[in-house]
Amino acid sequence: MRQSTTKRFLGKLGMYTLLTIFLIISVFPFYWMLVGSTNPSDKMISSPPTLTFGGQFMENLVNLNNTVGIWRVMFNSLFVAGLYVVIALIVSTAAAYAFAKFQFKGRNTIFIIMILSMMIPYQATIIPLFQMMSAYGLLDTYFALIAPQLCYPFAIFLMRQNFLAFPDSLLESARLDGAHEFKIFTKIVLPSMKPALAATSIFLFMYQWNNFMWPLVAIRTEEMYTFPVALSTLNGVSYTDYGQMMMGISLATIPIIIVFLILQKHFISGMLGSAVK
Amino acid sequence: MKKLILVLSTLAVVLAACSGGESSSSEGDGGGDSTQTLTAWAWNINIPVMEEAAERFAEENPGFELDIREQGTPDVYEQITTGLQAQGDGLPDIMLIEDDRVQGYLNNFSDAFLALDDYGFAEDHSDKFPEFKNELLSLDGSTYGMPFDAGPGGVFYRTDLFEEAGINADEIETWDDFIEAGHVLRDELDVAMTGIDINNDDGVYRMMLNQQETFYFDEEDNINLTSDESIRAMEVVQTLDEEGLNENLVGWDAWLAGLADGEVATAPSGAWLTGSLTEQAPDLEGKWGVFPLPAFEEGGNRAANLGGSNFMINADTENPDLAYEFMEFFSTSEDVQLTAMEGGLFPSLNTIYDEEAFTESVAYFGDQQIWDMFAGMMDEIPPANYTGDYSIARDEAETAQSEVAEGNDVQEALENAEDRLSNRINN
Repeated sequence: MRQSTTKRFLGKLGMYTLLTIFLIISVFPFYWMLVGSTNPSDKMISSPPTLTFGGQFMENLVNLNNTVGIWRVMFNSLFVAGLYVVIALIVSTAAAYAFAKFQFKGRNTIFIIMILSMMIPYQATIIPLFQMMSAYGLLDTYFALIAPQLCYPFAIFLMRQNFLAFPDSLLESARLDGAHEFKIFTKIVLPSMKPALAATSIFLFMYQWNNFMWPLVAIRTEEMYTFPVALSTLNGVSYTDYGQMMMGISLATIPIIIVFLILQKHFISGMLGSAVK
Repeated sequence: MKKLILVLSTLAVVLAACSGGESSSSEGDGGGDSTQTLTAWAWNINIPVMEEAAERFAEENPGFELDIREQGTPDVYEQITTGLQAQGDGLPDIMLIEDDRVQGYLNNFSDAFLALDDYGFAEDHSDKFPEFKNELLSLDGSTYGMPFDAGPGGVFYRTDLFEEAGINADEIETWDDFIEAGHVLRDELDVAMTGIDINNDDGVYRMMLNQQETFYFDEEDNINLTSDESIRAMEVVQTLDEEGLNENLVGWDAWLAGLADGEVATAPSGAWLTGSLTEQAPDLEGKWGVFPLPAFEEGGNRAANLGGSNFMINADTENPDLAYEFMEFFSTSEDVQLTAMEGGLFPSLNTIYDEEAFTESVAYFGDQQIWDMFAGMMDEIPPANYTGDYSIARDEAETAQSEVAEGNDVQEALENAEDRLSNRINN
């Protein structure tokens, strides 16, 4: 009896030690980021490393705002990512529902082509996309930032897998009761898909929030900068202000943490749900 | 159903509105509505000097405006390359391009840059710039850009550490002396001599090629990685690494941190490193000095270049004359170029080298007259033949460098690199 208690205690101790180590590994970069945002640039590369908060918070913030206009950047990023999530979610949910629940000619072919398109490297599409946007005079607009990836194959795939698990008999009984196809979709199917919708939203939001390559070439003026592009301009050939950089990264992290915290419950159950099925 | 349609149509309207709203300034190459406005791309330390130049230029050209967009490096090259591949779409009137990118762009997109021959830039001004810059910016006899800053190479070293270890920097004349000093430093203070990023940066090797009047390629564009000069240079890197004198610091940030915290005592680099050191390691004021690159034999050439940048004009600009006039003013105005030095840039305009700014002593470097020393090297720097294949050549040279550091034979590693490079060029 006693032996097994000791054993269990040791097991728990081992587990918690391991968890503590992982916790430190995952939390330390965030801590370091916050430390960096309150210290002058040269403190970030000093030895021994600076691990305490400094008094440069406001100065870094003001400098960063002077360099890239950070509130405008925050607005751009939130606006682009927010609008993108809403539209892309509508597009991918509708497409996924069709792929999952309707029989039509060429359904599987179209689906396979769409899945295969995930294998085209993003970089290969940049130049044709750039030429297209340039020809229509759409460079440097929110439209250019939001439109190109509205149909995001992975999001469609993810939603389709979830719709597949939805029982057909429920749809049939709804049809027998005289419900319109659209009503079935919005009133019966979607409400039970909240976890999947949350998971897809987080994917879409993260994708657009972190998107760098395309905004980098599509944006022409400072007024349109999103976070990744604005932060990249802080990099010089021989000089980078790490204080400003860390401040910028800290600010860029806040919204994504908020979004994740709000959707976290759904997100995890959504992931688990699809894993069990 | 109705609700959904309403939502969708609202979204459509919103999306359409944001595409229309901001499109007035959508194309960078138009330069806005006024014919007196030019657009330019540059990165952080160059912005103040460009603003200064624009202000001065506007005094004589009322209405002139320069719209500078601050870019990050190396991301700016993604933007330039995309624009060039899309036939110049969306490029600004004026682009700042580093030395090692110039020939690659010229060879692949020579039509995209304004040839300055019609304006007589070479006839009027070529004697104001060092030979190596003039060669860098020309292709098939035409000139395509204006030299801005240069990176005359020197060895930045910690004077306090050298003194503590009993090393006299003036006596380091050859790379053999350099290695010997490295041993003293290791034995006395257990500090590394250099912080070369073995797998990712062959800058020191490249400077050694340059000082020996050779490069990845010879003058006829033949691959030249197995020349005697190249083997000698790579052997220095191998010795530094094998004998424990080099600390492998991966990436720019780690390197700078190593210099700031005393892990590494010297940095063979371009003059622009002064800006990085004074900004990032202000505590070390008075503890740094610079001596010229060691030579390969006593009395040999000690001048080489690493880095530097140039301005090139978009051939599709709506205002070629204005762009040329402004850039000519920018490049040859002594006052403008002197302001560039405030950001730690080393101007390649040689008419200012007798100004006070060049002869004064610099407190950060223990009152050494470093600018005067660098200026004296400019005419000795041999041209480097970058060719259009520079970036893959560099890739292979860096692979060879990492093989050599693992203990492989220098000759063999460079022969293999040469084979791989010629395969990549021919394919």
